[in-house]
Amino acid sequence: MNPGKLIVRRVAVLGAGVMGAQIAAHCANADIPVLLFDLPAPEGKPNALIEKAIAGLLKLEPAPFSDPSRVRAITAANYATDLPLLAECDLVIEAIAERMDWKRDLYLKVAPHLAPHAIFASNTSGLSITALAENLPEALRSRFCGVHFFNPPRYMSLVELIPTRYTDSVLLDHLETFVTSRLGKNALRAKDTPNFIANRVGVFSMLAVMHHTQRLGLGFDEVDALTGPRIGRAKSATYRTADVVGLDTLGHVINTMQTTLSDGSGADPWKAHFGKPDWLTALISKGALGQKTKAGVFRKVGKEIQVLDLKLQDYRPSTGDVVAEVAAILAIKAPGERFAALRASSHPQAQLLWAIFRDVFHYCAYHLGTIADTAQEIDCGLRWGFGWSMGPFETWQAAGWKTVAGWVAEDIAAGRAMSSVPLPAWVDQIEAVHTPQGSYAPVTHNWRPRSALPVYARQLQPERLFGEAVPTSGTTVWENGDARDGVRLWVLPEVDARIGILSFKSKMHSASAAVLDGLIGAVAFAERELDGVVVWHPAPFAVGANLKEVLEGCKAGAFEQMDRMIARFQQASQTLRYAQVPTVAAVSGMALGGGCEFTMHAQHRVFALESYVGLVEAGVGVIPAGAGSKYLAVRAHELAAGTPGGDVFPFIQNIFQQVAMATVSKSAHQAIAMGYGKATDDVVFHPQELLYVAIRRARAMAEAGTRPPLPGRDIVVAGRAGIAVCEMMLVNMREGGLISAYDYRVALAAAVALCGGEVDAGSRVDEQWLLDVERTLFIDLLRQEPTQQRIAHMLETGKPLRN
Amino acid sequence: MKQMQEAYIVAAVRTPVAKRNGLFRNTRPDDLLAHALRALFQRVPDVDPAAVGDVIVGCAMPEAEQGMNVARIASLLAGLPQSVPAYTINRFCSSGLQAVADAAMRIRLGEADVMIGAGTESMSAMTQMMGNKPSPNPAMFDHAEHLSIAYGMGLTAEKVAQRWNVSREDQDAFAQTSHERASAARAAGRFAAEIAPFTTVAHMPGADGAVRVVERDVREDEGPRPDSSLAGLAKLRPVFAAKGSVTAGNSSQMSDGAAAVLLMSEAGLKRFGVTPIARLASYSVAGVPPEIMGIGPIEAVPRALAQAGWQQADLDWIELNEAFAAQALAVIRELHLDPARVNPLGGAIALGHPLGATGAIRVATLMSAMQRGEVSKGLVTMCIGTGMGAAGTFEKV
Repeated sequence: MNPGKLIVRRVAVLGAGVMGAQIAAHCANADIPVLLFDLPAPEGKPNALIEKAIAGLLKLEPAPFSDPSRVRAITAANYATDLPLLAECDLVIEAIAERMDWKRDLYLKVAPHLAPHAIFASNTSGLSITALAENLPEALRSRFCGVHFFNPPRYMSLVELIPTRYTDSVLLDHLETFVTSRLGKNALRAKDTPNFIANRVGVFSMLAVMHHTQRLGLGFDEVDALTGPRIGRAKSATYRTADVVGLDTLGHVINTMQTTLSDGSGADPWKAHFGKPDWLTALISKGALGQKTKAGVFRKVGKEIQVLDLKLQDYRPSTGDVVAEVAAILAIKAPGERFAALRASSHPQAQLLWAIFRDVFHYCAYHLGTIADTAQEIDCGLRWGFGWSMGPFETWQAAGWKTVAGWVAEDIAAGRAMSSVPLPAWVDQIEAVHTPQGSYAPVTHNWRPRSALPVYARQLQPERLFGEAVPTSGTTVWENGDARDGVRLWVLPEVDARIGILSFKSKMHSASAAVLDGLIGAVAFAERELDGVVVWHPAPFAVGANLKEVLEGCKAGAFEQMDRMIARFQQASQTLRYAQVPTVAAVSGMALGGGCEFTMHAQHRVFALESYVGLVEAGVGVIPAGAGSKYLAVRAHELAAGTPGGDVFPFIQNIFQQVAMATVSKSAHQAIAMGYGKATDDVVFHPQELLYVAIRRARAMAEAGTRPPLPGRDIVVAGRAGIAVCEMMLVNMREGGLISAYDYRVALAAAVALCGGEVDAGSRVDEQWLLDVERTLFIDLLRQEPTQQRIAHMLETGKPLRN
Repeated sequence: MKQMQEAYIVAAVRTPVAKRNGLFRNTRPDDLLAHALRALFQRVPDVDPAAVGDVIVGCAMPEAEQGMNVARIASLLAGLPQSVPAYTINRFCSSGLQAVADAAMRIRLGEADVMIGAGTESMSAMTQMMGNKPSPNPAMFDHAEHLSIAYGMGLTAEKVAQRWNVSREDQDAFAQTSHERASAARAAGRFAAEIAPFTTVAHMPGADGAVRVVERDVREDEGPRPDSSLAGLAKLRPVFAAKGSVTAGNSSQMSDGAAAVLLMSEAGLKRFGVTPIARLASYSVAGVPPEIMGIGPIEAVPRALAQAGWQQADLDWIELNEAFAAQALAVIRELHLDPARVNPLGGAIALGHPLGATGAIRVATLMSAMQRGEVSKGLVTMCIGTGMGAAGTFEKV
C-alpha cells in the first residue's frame, strides 16, 4: 500500500441491518463496490435474507440510494461461504447488533481473512472500542477503530472516528480523508467513552428536556413548540424526534447510558436522571413506539395531530404553542439579553428553556475533558449529529461566557440544576472557548486550531463556530445591486486569482431583475478580465424567478415589460452557455425553475450529491421560459442526431413528463439522469468541497482552451406530431381526473415549447425561434387568472395550488 | 342465414399463453405462430399443406418483431410450401377471430377449400403499449367529438364502470372467479388437448465463456393465480383514474401467445377424409362509441345470433373476452347472459390476453370443449379498441 494514501477499491460491510445496509448503499452512491455480509439463511438460498435487505433499501424513505440503479454496486455475501472475499476489501465496516459476545465471535471469524493493509472499523454506538480491539489478534489492532455513522447515514453528515491506544494515527488520517471527501461526511475524532460525543450530549439534552417538562408540568406539544426552530433546532424538536427515532430505540439508548455510566470511575454525576420516565416505559409496553407504529407521543387521527396528555392519560388535539410573553423574549436578537430575560421570567415555558440550556452547559463543561479533545468537537457533534444550528459552547459564548458561567454556578449552588457537581475550574479561567486561534482543550489548557489534515484545504468556505476565525470573503472584482440583491463577482487569490466566483445576493438566490443584470454584467467583466467563472453560493443554488416581481407585473398588467424581463432571463441563460470564458455551475441544494435553467446552460456543472434539481414552473402555472424549454429541445435534437432514424421525440417524452409533473431530482445523480446535467459533470460528495472543485474545473477548462458550443442551427423539432403524443397522455390524465383542466393547459404549453411550436414534425428551426415560442407561451399563461392564483398561493404558502 | 357453402373447422391448436416478459420473454411472435402452424398439421397428418388457399393471421401491433407481414414469414418458417400465400390483418383484439371468419368467408364464397385463420401476438416485444412509435393524429385533439379516439383502454373501462354502475367489489369478485375457474381448469388438464407445448430456448452468457443454451418445456398457461384472493385484489390501486375502480387485478393480463385454426369446405373434408369439429354459423362486427369501447359485444352478439338464426338461450358456452371485468360485467348484465355459461374455464383476467391472438386462441378452447362433448352451440365475442365489438357463433357437427 502506498503509505501516502488510502485506496478504497472495495468495501465490505458486516451486518445487513438498517445501519449496515444503508452504509453499504452510501458507499454504492460513491461508486465503490460493496460486499454486504450477514448470516446465511437457515434454509433455501444462503443469501436470500441479505438480498431481501438490499431490495428493502429501494423502498426505504428517505432514499438511501442517490439513484435506484446504484443497488447494483452491492453484492450479498454470507459468513458461511464468502469470507475469503474479504481479502479483496480495503475497508471493512462492522455494523452488527450491539452485543459484545456476538462481535467477539465475528471478529475471530473474519480476522484471518482480512487483507494485511485493510482498515477494520466498528459502527458501534455504545460499546467500548478498546474492549472490541482487545478481541482482535494483536497485529490487527493498529488497523482497528470506531467509525460511528448516524441514521440515516446518507443524510446525517456526522461520522465519529474513535481510535484506541493501538490505532495507527496515519491510518486514521487516511480514514478521515476518505470519510470526508469520498463519502461527504463531517468527521469528528471522539474519545472512547460511552456513547462517544454527540449522543452523549444529545441524549442528555433530551433527558433534560423530559425532566424539566415533567417538573414544570408542561405539555409535550408545548415543549416541542419551544425546543424546535425557535431555538435553532430541528422542526421535529424533542418529542416528535423521539417518535421518529422510535421510542423503543430511545429507551434502549437511555438504558445503555444507565448501565455504562452508573458505576466505577466513569460514573456520571447526572446518573440519577438516566432512567426512562414512567410515561415512556408505559408507551413502549403498549407498543406505541412512535412513527413506525403510527402512535407514540403524538398520533395522527384523520387530519388531526394529537398529543399524549399525561394529566388526561389520553390523547388530545396538539395545539400547544409558545405564549406571547415567551415568544417576545425569544425574538430578542442579542443572545445575552435573551438568556437573561428567560432566566428572569417566572413563566414555566421560559423556565424550561433556561433550565435545559443551563443543564446542558453544565453537563458539557463538566465532561468536556473526558469525552473530547476540545470544545469544537462537542459543538460540531451537536450541529452535525442533532441538527442544532449552534452547539452548546458557542451558544454559551455568544450569550457572554462569564455572565452565563455565573448564572450556571448560582443555580448549581442554589440546588436548581440537575446535578450539584460544581463547574470545572477552567470555566472561570477563560474568556471564551472558541477563538480565532482555536477551541479550548481543558486537558492541556490551550486553544487548539482546526485539523491540519490536507483534505480540509479543499473546504474553501468552511463552516465555522461562533468565535472562530471567519473564512475569507475574498476580493470583490465586480458587483451590482445592494447587500440583498444583485450579484457579487469575487476571487480567492490564494486559490486562483483569475477564476471569478459569481454569487447571487438575493434571498434564496432567486433570479431577480438585479440578479439577471448582474449575471450578464459579471460574465461580460470576466470575459475581459478573468479566465473563467464559477457560479457558487451556499445552498440553495437558486429557486427560480422572483415570483413577487412577476405577480406585481401581472397585477399592473405590464405584460410587455414582463416579456422584456423574460427575454432578459433568456439572455442570462444564453450568456452562461455562450460566454467566452468557461462557466461552471456549482450546484448544491435546490436548483429549481430558473435555477435549473442556469444549471443546464452553464458549460459545465459540479453538483453536490444532495442537489435537488427540477423544472417546477408548472406548479405556478407557467412553463420553463428562461431558455429552458429551448435548451431541452436542442438537447433532444443533439441526442437524436446519433440514432437510427433520428427521431427527436423519444428524447422529449420523459422530459415532457418531468416538466408537466414538476418533478425534482432527489440527488445529483438523478438530476443528471433526468437530463438536467450531463454524464461528464462532476458529483462532489462533501458540499464544502464544491467551490474548490468548481474553481479547479474552471481552471482546467481554461487551460484546455475550452470553447463555448456553437449556437444551435437547423434544430430538428418534434412539432405537431410530438405535441399530439403529449396531448394523448394529457387527455387520459384529465379524463381520469388525475390532472385538472388547467394542469392540462399548462402542460400542453410545455409540450408545445419542448416540441418547438406547432410546426410539422421534423421542421428545422434556430434557437431564437425556440426562445420566442417559449416566451410567447409563458406570457400567454401569465395573463390567465388561474396562473396568477397559483403564483399568489405559492408566495403565501410556499406550496403549489392545484386549480 | 343462407350460405353458398358451409365452412367447417377441422382442427384448432394454440400455444400456451405466457405473461408479458414471462416465459416467452425471449421467444419471438413469428416463432410462436410457426409453431402453432406446424402443430396444426400434426393434428391432421392426412391434409396436404399445399392445398391451403391462404393463411390469414390476426395481429394487433404488426410492427417490429411481428411486422413485415408476420403471416408470410411464419408460414415459411413453419415449412408450409412456398406456393401457400399468407397475409396479416388487424382489428385489434378481435384480429384472431376476424382471421378465422375471413378464412371461412373465402370458403363460403367458393374461392378456397382449405384455409387457415390464425393469430399471434407478443406483448413482450412491444416496448410501449401504443406501438413502438405512437403517433396520434393531431386532428383528434382539434375536435371534441374525436377526442375519445385518444382514450386509453383503461380509461374506457372506467367510463363503462361509471355508466353501467359496475362497482369495484363486483369487478374484483369477477376477477377472482376468473382465476378460480382458470386455475381449476389448468390443474384438471382441461386445456391440454388444445395446447401444443412450446420449448423455449434461452441463450445466456455461461460461466466458462461459452454460450449457455437452456431449453424449457412450456405446457401450460402462465397467467392463472391459484393464490388470488379478494383481499389481495382489494388492495390494488386504480391506475387509470383518480377515483376509479379499474386495477391491474381486474383487467386482462398482457401476454404472449399464438393459435391456428384449419377450415375446410365440404369438398375439402371429402378430399382429405377428415371429420370436422364444428361449423362457423355466423360472424358479426359492430361499432360503438370509442369512449365505451368495452360494450362492443352488446351490439355484435345480437347481430351474430340473428345471422345464425339462434336464440341467446341456445348458447351453452360463451367465450367473452375479459378485457376488463368492468366491461365484461356490463355486457353480461345488458345482454342478460348466464354467468355460469360465460367463460367456464376462466377468461383473459386469468388466462391472459395476447391481443391479436386471443380470438383464435378462444376458438381453440371452444373447439376443445365441443370435442369433449360439453357444447353444441358456442359463441366467441370480444370488445375492440376505438369502439367495436365482434362475435362469432359455432355449432358442433
